[in-house]
Amino acid sequence: MSYQEKRAIVSIVTGIFILAAYCIHVYGKYQSGVIASDDLKPWAATMLVFIGIGVIATIIIQIVFHILLSIAIAAQQKLQNANCDDKEIGVRIESEMVVDEMDRLIELKSERIGFGVAGVGFVIALVSLVLNFPLAIMINIVFASFSLASLVEGFTQLYFYKRGIRNA
Amino acid sequence: MPKKYQITNNIRKLRFFANEMTQQQLAEKVGVSRQTIVAIEAAKYYPSLELAFRIADVFGVTIGEVFSYEVKGD
Repeated sequence: MSYQEKRAIVSIVTGIFILAAYCIHVYGKYQSGVIASDDLKPWAATMLVFIGIGVIATIIIQIVFHILLSIAIAAQQKLQNANCDDKEIGVRIESEMVVDEMDRLIELKSERIGFGVAGVGFVIALVSLVLNFPLAIMINIVFASFSLASLVEGFTQLYFYKRGIRNA
Repeated sequence: MPKKYQITNNIRKLRFFANEMTQQQLAEKVGVSRQTIVAIEAAKYYPSLELAFRIADVFGVTIGEVFSYEVKGD
Protein backbone atom coordinates (compact mmCIF):
# COMPACT_ATOMS: atom_id res chain seq x y z
CA MET A 1 0.00 0.00 0.00
CA SER A 2 1.39 3.38 -1.00
CA TYR A 3 1.90 6.43 1.20
CA GLN A 4 -1.03 8.25 -0.43
CA GLU A 5 -3.40 5.34 0.22
CA LYS A 6 -2.30 5.16 3.85
CA ARG A 7 -2.80 8.92 4.18
CA ALA A 8 -6.29 8.66 2.68
CA ILE A 9 -7.19 5.88 5.13
CA VAL A 10 -5.92 7.96 8.07
CA SER A 11 -8.06 10.91 6.87
CA ILE A 12 -11.13 8.69 6.47
CA VAL A 13 -10.74 7.18 9.94
CA THR A 14 -10.25 10.65 11.47
CA GLY A 15 -13.33 11.93 9.63
CA ILE A 16 -15.45 8.96 10.76
CA PHE A 17 -14.43 9.47 14.41
CA ILE A 18 -15.23 13.18 14.33
CA LEU A 19 -18.56 12.63 12.57
CA ALA A 20 -19.44 9.86 15.05
CA ALA A 21 -18.58 12.15 17.97
CA TYR A 22 -20.76 14.88 16.48
CA CYS A 23 -23.66 12.45 15.91
CA ILE A 24 -23.49 11.25 19.53
CA HIS A 25 -23.49 14.88 20.68
CA VAL A 26 -26.44 15.74 18.42
CA TYR A 27 -28.36 12.65 19.56
CA GLY A 28 -28.03 13.92 23.11
CA LYS A 29 -29.48 17.26 22.01
CA TYR A 30 -32.25 15.51 20.13
CA GLN A 31 -33.22 13.61 23.27
CA SER A 32 -33.40 16.85 25.20
CA GLY A 33 -35.70 18.34 22.56
CA VAL A 34 -33.39 21.18 21.52
CA ILE A 35 -33.49 20.02 17.89
CA ALA A 36 -36.97 21.47 17.43
CA SER A 37 -35.69 24.92 18.33
CA ASP A 38 -35.33 27.57 15.63
CA ASP A 39 -32.44 29.22 17.45
CA LEU A 40 -29.41 28.42 15.32
CA LYS A 41 -26.83 30.06 17.59
CA PRO A 42 -26.11 26.99 19.78
CA TRP A 43 -25.96 24.80 16.67
CA ALA A 44 -23.51 27.14 14.98
CA ALA A 45 -21.36 27.20 18.14
CA THR A 46 -21.40 23.38 18.35
CA MET A 47 -20.47 23.03 14.69
CA LEU A 48 -17.66 25.56 15.01
CA VAL A 49 -16.29 23.62 17.99
CA PHE A 50 -16.42 20.34 16.04
CA ILE A 51 -14.83 21.95 12.97
CA GLY A 52 -12.04 23.21 15.24
CA ILE A 53 -11.64 19.78 16.83
CA GLY A 54 -11.60 18.24 13.35
CA VAL A 55 -8.88 20.55 12.04
CA ILE A 56 -6.68 20.13 15.12
CA ALA A 57 -7.22 16.34 15.25
CA THR A 58 -6.40 16.02 11.53
CA ILE A 59 -3.17 18.02 11.92
CA ILE A 60 -2.04 16.05 14.99
CA ILE A 61 -2.94 12.66 13.49
CA GLN A 62 -1.18 13.50 10.19
CA ILE A 63 1.97 14.57 12.09
CA VAL A 64 1.93 11.35 14.16
CA PHE A 65 1.28 9.33 11.00
CA HIS A 66 4.24 10.94 9.22
CA ILE A 67 6.54 10.31 12.18
CA LEU A 68 5.47 6.65 12.46
CA LEU A 69 5.76 6.11 8.72
CA SER A 70 9.25 7.65 8.65
CA ILE A 71 10.32 5.37 11.50
CA ALA A 72 8.85 2.34 9.70
CA ILE A 73 10.63 3.23 6.43
CA ALA A 74 13.93 3.80 8.26
CA ALA A 75 13.61 0.47 10.09
CA GLN A 76 12.77 -1.33 6.84
CA GLN A 77 15.75 0.28 5.10
CA LYS A 78 18.06 -0.75 7.96
CA LEU A 79 16.77 -4.32 7.76
CA GLN A 80 17.43 -4.45 4.02
CA ASN A 81 20.85 -2.85 4.30
CA ALA A 82 22.41 -2.55 7.74
CA ASN A 83 25.19 -0.27 6.43
CA CYS A 84 22.91 2.40 4.95
CA ASP A 85 23.47 5.94 6.22
CA ASP A 86 21.03 8.69 7.23
CA LYS A 87 21.24 10.30 3.78
CA GLU A 88 20.05 7.11 2.07
CA ILE A 89 17.20 6.79 4.57
CA GLY A 90 16.28 10.44 3.97
CA VAL A 91 16.18 9.91 0.20
CA ARG A 92 14.01 6.80 0.66
CA ILE A 93 11.56 8.63 2.94
CA GLU A 94 11.40 11.54 0.50
CA SER A 95 10.75 9.25 -2.47
CA GLU A 96 8.02 7.40 -0.55
CA MET A 97 6.23 10.63 0.34
CA VAL A 98 6.60 12.40 -3.00
CA VAL A 99 3.41 13.90 -4.43
CA ASP A 100 3.43 13.57 -8.20
CA GLU A 101 1.12 14.25 -11.16
CA MET A 102 -0.97 11.09 -10.63
CA ASP A 103 -1.58 12.04 -6.99
CA ARG A 104 -2.63 15.55 -8.03
CA LEU A 105 -4.98 14.20 -10.71
CA ILE A 106 -6.57 11.74 -8.26
CA GLU A 107 -6.91 14.54 -5.70
CA LEU A 108 -8.60 16.81 -8.26
CA LYS A 109 -11.02 14.13 -9.42
CA SER A 110 -11.95 13.04 -5.91
CA GLU A 111 -12.39 16.66 -4.83
CA ARG A 112 -14.80 17.18 -7.71
CA ILE A 113 -16.85 14.19 -6.57
CA GLY A 114 -16.70 15.46 -2.97
CA PHE A 115 -18.00 18.88 -4.08
CA GLY A 116 -20.84 17.11 -5.87
CA VAL A 117 -21.85 15.34 -2.65
CA ALA A 118 -21.68 18.61 -0.69
CA GLY A 119 -23.80 20.30 -3.39
CA VAL A 120 -26.46 17.59 -3.28
CA GLY A 121 -26.51 17.91 0.52
CA PHE A 122 -27.05 21.66 0.26
CA VAL A 123 -29.98 21.14 -2.13
CA ILE A 124 -31.51 18.56 0.25
CA ALA A 125 -31.09 21.11 3.08
CA LEU A 126 -32.98 23.71 1.03
CA VAL A 127 -35.71 21.17 0.26
CA SER A 128 -36.03 20.46 3.99
CA LEU A 129 -36.72 24.19 4.54
CA VAL A 130 -39.37 24.22 1.81
CA LEU A 131 -40.99 21.20 3.46
CA ASN A 132 -41.17 23.14 6.75
CA PHE A 133 -38.61 21.09 8.65
CA PRO A 134 -36.98 22.94 11.58
CA LEU A 135 -33.95 25.13 10.87
CA ALA A 136 -31.88 22.85 13.09
CA ILE A 137 -32.51 19.97 10.67
CA MET A 138 -31.47 22.13 7.72
CA ILE A 139 -28.18 23.25 9.28
CA ASN A 140 -27.40 19.68 10.36
CA ILE A 141 -27.99 18.40 6.84
CA VAL A 142 -25.51 21.01 5.55
CA PHE A 143 -22.93 19.96 8.18
CA ALA A 144 -23.50 16.25 7.52
CA SER A 145 -23.21 16.71 3.77
CA PHE A 146 -19.84 18.45 4.10
CA SER A 147 -18.60 15.72 6.44
CA LEU A 148 -19.90 13.05 4.08
CA ALA A 149 -18.29 14.82 1.12
CA SER A 150 -14.94 14.64 2.89
CA LEU A 151 -15.40 10.89 3.50
CA VAL A 152 -16.52 10.28 -0.10
CA GLU A 153 -13.42 12.16 -1.27
CA GLY A 154 -11.22 9.82 0.76
CA PHE A 155 -12.95 6.68 -0.48
CA THR A 156 -12.80 7.96 -4.08
CA GLN A 157 -9.07 8.48 -3.71
CA LEU A 158 -8.65 4.89 -2.51
CA TYR A 159 -10.79 3.68 -5.41
CA PHE A 160 -8.67 5.53 -7.98
CA TYR A 161 -5.42 4.26 -6.45
CA LYS A 162 -6.69 0.68 -6.68
CA ARG A 163 -8.40 0.86 -10.05
CA GLY A 164 -6.09 3.38 -11.72
CA ILE A 165 -6.99 6.59 -13.47
CA ARG A 166 -7.01 6.79 -17.24
CA ASN A 167 -8.29 8.95 -20.08
CA ALA A 168 -8.04 12.06 -17.92
CA MET B 1 -17.99 9.20 -31.85
CA PRO B 2 -14.26 9.14 -31.03
CA LYS B 3 -12.63 5.74 -31.12
CA LYS B 4 -11.37 4.14 -27.94
CA TYR B 5 -7.63 3.94 -27.64
CA GLN B 6 -5.06 2.25 -25.49
CA ILE B 7 -1.52 3.25 -24.67
CA THR B 8 0.79 0.34 -24.03
CA ASN B 9 4.37 0.53 -22.83
CA ASN B 10 7.64 -1.38 -22.71
CA ILE B 11 8.86 -0.02 -19.40
CA ARG B 12 9.19 -3.43 -17.78
CA LYS B 13 11.31 -4.71 -20.66
CA LEU B 14 13.39 -1.54 -20.73
CA ARG B 15 14.00 -1.79 -16.99
CA PHE B 16 15.15 -5.37 -17.41
CA PHE B 17 17.65 -4.40 -20.08
CA ALA B 18 18.80 -1.40 -18.04
CA ASN B 19 20.66 -3.63 -15.61
CA GLU B 20 17.41 -4.84 -14.02
CA MET B 21 16.52 -1.39 -12.75
CA THR B 22 13.89 -1.54 -10.01
CA GLN B 23 10.63 0.42 -10.09
CA GLN B 24 11.85 2.39 -7.08
CA GLN B 25 15.05 3.38 -8.89
CA LEU B 26 13.12 4.49 -11.97
CA ALA B 27 10.68 6.41 -9.79
CA GLU B 28 13.53 8.25 -8.09
CA LYS B 29 15.17 9.07 -11.43
CA VAL B 30 12.01 10.61 -12.90
CA GLY B 31 10.78 12.18 -9.66
CA VAL B 32 7.54 10.30 -9.07
CA SER B 33 6.39 7.71 -6.55
CA ARG B 34 6.87 3.97 -7.09
CA GLN B 35 3.07 3.69 -7.07
CA THR B 36 2.92 5.87 -10.19
CA ILE B 37 5.48 3.72 -12.01
CA VAL B 38 3.47 0.61 -11.03
CA ALA B 39 0.29 2.23 -12.39
CA ILE B 40 1.99 3.30 -15.64
CA GLU B 41 3.47 -0.16 -16.22
CA ALA B 42 0.06 -1.76 -15.67
CA ALA B 43 -1.53 0.81 -18.05
CA LYS B 44 -3.71 2.02 -15.17
CA TYR B 45 -2.43 5.55 -15.61
CA TYR B 46 -1.33 7.40 -18.74
CA PRO B 47 1.52 9.75 -17.85
CA SER B 48 1.79 13.35 -18.96
CA LEU B 49 3.91 14.06 -22.03
CA GLU B 50 6.61 15.54 -19.79
CA LEU B 51 6.81 12.43 -17.61
CA ALA B 52 6.76 10.19 -20.69
CA PHE B 53 9.76 12.11 -22.07
CA ARG B 54 11.57 11.85 -18.72
CA ILE B 55 11.04 8.07 -18.65
CA ALA B 56 12.32 7.73 -22.22
CA ASP B 57 15.31 9.89 -21.32
CA VAL B 58 16.26 7.59 -18.42
CA PHE B 59 16.51 4.65 -20.83
CA GLY B 60 18.12 6.75 -23.56
CA VAL B 61 15.46 5.88 -26.12
CA THR B 62 12.77 7.80 -27.99
CA ILE B 63 9.31 8.19 -26.53
CA GLY B 64 7.93 5.94 -29.29
CA GLU B 65 10.13 3.10 -28.08
CA VAL B 66 8.62 3.34 -24.61
CA PHE B 67 4.98 4.02 -25.38
CA SER B 68 2.82 2.91 -28.26
CA TYR B 69 -0.66 3.96 -29.15
CA GLU B 70 -3.30 1.64 -30.53
CA VAL B 71 -6.94 2.10 -31.35
CA LYS B 72 -9.16 -0.56 -29.80
CA GLY B 73 -11.03 -2.81 -32.20
CA ASP B 74 -8.63 -2.23 -35.08
